[in-house]
Amino acid sequence: MRRGLATGMLAGLVLGLLVIGTPAGAYHTHFQYGCNDTFYNHDPVSRADARDYAYIAAAEGYQWAGGCWNGNNVDDSPGDPVQDPNTLGEGGDCSGFTFKSWWERAETGDPWFRYHAWMQNVHGPYSAADFKAGAGASNVTVAKASTTYMDAFAASSHIGMIYWANTAYNQDRIIEAKCEACGTGTWPRTYRGNPDYSGVRRLYWAG
Amino acid sequence: MRKKWRWPLAGFVLGGLVGATVLTVNVVGASSPERADVRAGGFGEILHTPVLLARAGQPVELSYDVVCGALKDEPTSHCAPSGSVYVRPAGGSTFSRMPLEREADGLLSAVVPATDARAGFDYYVAIDNRRGRTAILPEAGAAAPQHVWLLQDWATVDVGAARFGRSRTPSSVVRGFAWGRGDAAIGLDSGREQSRIGPSAFDVAPDGSVVVLDQVNHRLVVLRRGAEAEHLPIDFSGGEGDLAVGGDGTIYVLDSSARPVLRAFTAAGAPIAAGRLAESTADMVRMGPSGPLVHSYPSEMWLPTGAARPPVAPGRQLASAQSARTVRGGLGVVVHASPSEVKLALVRGDRVEHAWMLRGETRFGEVQLAEPYGNGMVVVVRLWNEKHAEFRVLRLAPAGLVQSFDLTPAEWAESGSLSRFRLHGSTLYQLRSDPSGISIAEFEIGGTT
Repeated sequence: MRRGLATGMLAGLVLGLLVIGTPAGAYHTHFQYGCNDTFYNHDPVSRADARDYAYIAAAEGYQWAGGCWNGNNVDDSPGDPVQDPNTLGEGGDCSGFTFKSWWERAETGDPWFRYHAWMQNVHGPYSAADFKAGAGASNVTVAKASTTYMDAFAASSHIGMIYWANTAYNQDRIIEAKCEACGTGTWPRTYRGNPDYSGVRRLYWAG
Repeated sequence: MRKKWRWPLAGFVLGGLVGATVLTVNVVGASSPERADVRAGGFGEILHTPVLLARAGQPVELSYDVVCGALKDEPTSHCAPSGSVYVRPAGGSTFSRMPLEREADGLLSAVVPATDARAGFDYYVAIDNRRGRTAILPEAGAAAPQHVWLLQDWATVDVGAARFGRSRTPSSVVRGFAWGRGDAAIGLDSGREQSRIGPSAFDVAPDGSVVVLDQVNHRLVVLRRGAEAEHLPIDFSGGEGDLAVGGDGTIYVLDSSARPVLRAFTAAGAPIAAGRLAESTADMVRMGPSGPLVHSYPSEMWLPTGAARPPVAPGRQLASAQSARTVRGGLGVVVHASPSEVKLALVRGDRVEHAWMLRGETRFGEVQLAEPYGNGMVVVVRLWNEKHAEFRVLRLAPAGLVQSFDLTPAEWAESGSLSRFRLHGSTLYQLRSDPSGISIAEFEIGGTT
């Protein structure tokens, strides 16, 4: 009896792991199942407030067309297939991360501020190319030479915000959702002097 | 028959349920938002660009900003940090405390009075974010502070204006690769709403072979003259990194993932060791006389990671951090650049051997390369305006400029931010990219190395 029970349990365990585990492993963590739609309209905030907010996402994941992260300093969905929103991984992409970090509103004609919960799964209406063109009532293009922290450098397929300008080697530390393998983080970059990139500013900061 | 199968069947069902439960708990746990909020509860980060080089006889302002760690996921105003800078004359043993003052622009600053002391001074900062957390930068504090060299003499070099579009053509091209995954290709990671990332870095080995970090394809590509490219698979977890080859052929790969790691490989690609870096961000690995040095943030100091196995532990990296990059002959290279001025120095301990001040009519970008050359330096610096950019190559002697020429940036794909150039002997190498692929180009510098 006991041997039969043990043999049956082992077979069941193996089959259970194979049948359920294989597709679950292939389709990753479904991180976004735990996300929410929490946001608050808010009075204008300062650049420093916005940088504090963005900092929470550093060391979290990158997800193309994604928008939520949990602030635990870990990419909870590493190695997802790229350019596929159905992988439902953690993190924003570059433009979605900028949208949330700039406390923007989804209504493109409304330039005022909105707090997006870290775990709110929202991308916003703008692509990197839209930001580069200064699209939306809250955004304008500026000369790269006149940018300051929490302004951004945008190319046609990528955007990153200035976290700390002018390092000793005269780079800028940029906070950005970089790529699936990179995740989201702060890295020294040379976007400022690269002609592919333009300066972009969110308007109406409180300071 | 029925009785015979009853217990095995019960076991089978039970086992299946156990397996499914284990998987469900693991998957949900991995994606749960309820996991520990490490960053959210932390200090945040002190932001500071080290002064490094200052004119003797003038006061030196030390400026800081603070990123405040959030307490919870709700709108929170910026914290109100306060703190002090601790300063001592170089060679001294006692630090003096100077309270930080809040400036109109929100920065915290302290001014170190003018001194003509030739040896400069050391400093570190301690800041309280007024949310119950304090932090020190550099992290080792008095054990490994920042250093400022005071410049008594320097050569001023007027680099003039940029000459966009008038670039030198390469002396030769080591090799070119099309984008792709095969043996004749090099990896490109690109797509909508992300960076366009090519190979991060390369270096030239003592035997003249070129090693390329093809991190997109998780491999090194070794290029020897007259031979087929050799591919060495490696572990690499981040998106970008850097690479340096030691005098014994050991290949050091900086993996700039969320937690940077330095990995060492034999010349044949066999893994030797891997060690975590003490700081959260790093952009360069370069060879020092005693092993690899990694330039990391937020301190912007050079951390020794050790040539031996096991690598130097993070605590010892911080305690041994240096403001200058140590190079051959007991010299150190120090760089401090801004849009209007580039300061460069070769130092020996606290003493400045030679210093240069670059000025120009066009805005300076990043310093891509600064290496000792003869009794001077070779420097590669970006010049740019809103629509154009070029790299200016400068050969500096103690008295000033000896030679200069311009190079096209050729940066269609992104590399490591300061990994586009390497100097080997009298040859400057450039990693170039365009929509068709990459090439490693050579430029002869001339003069005496």
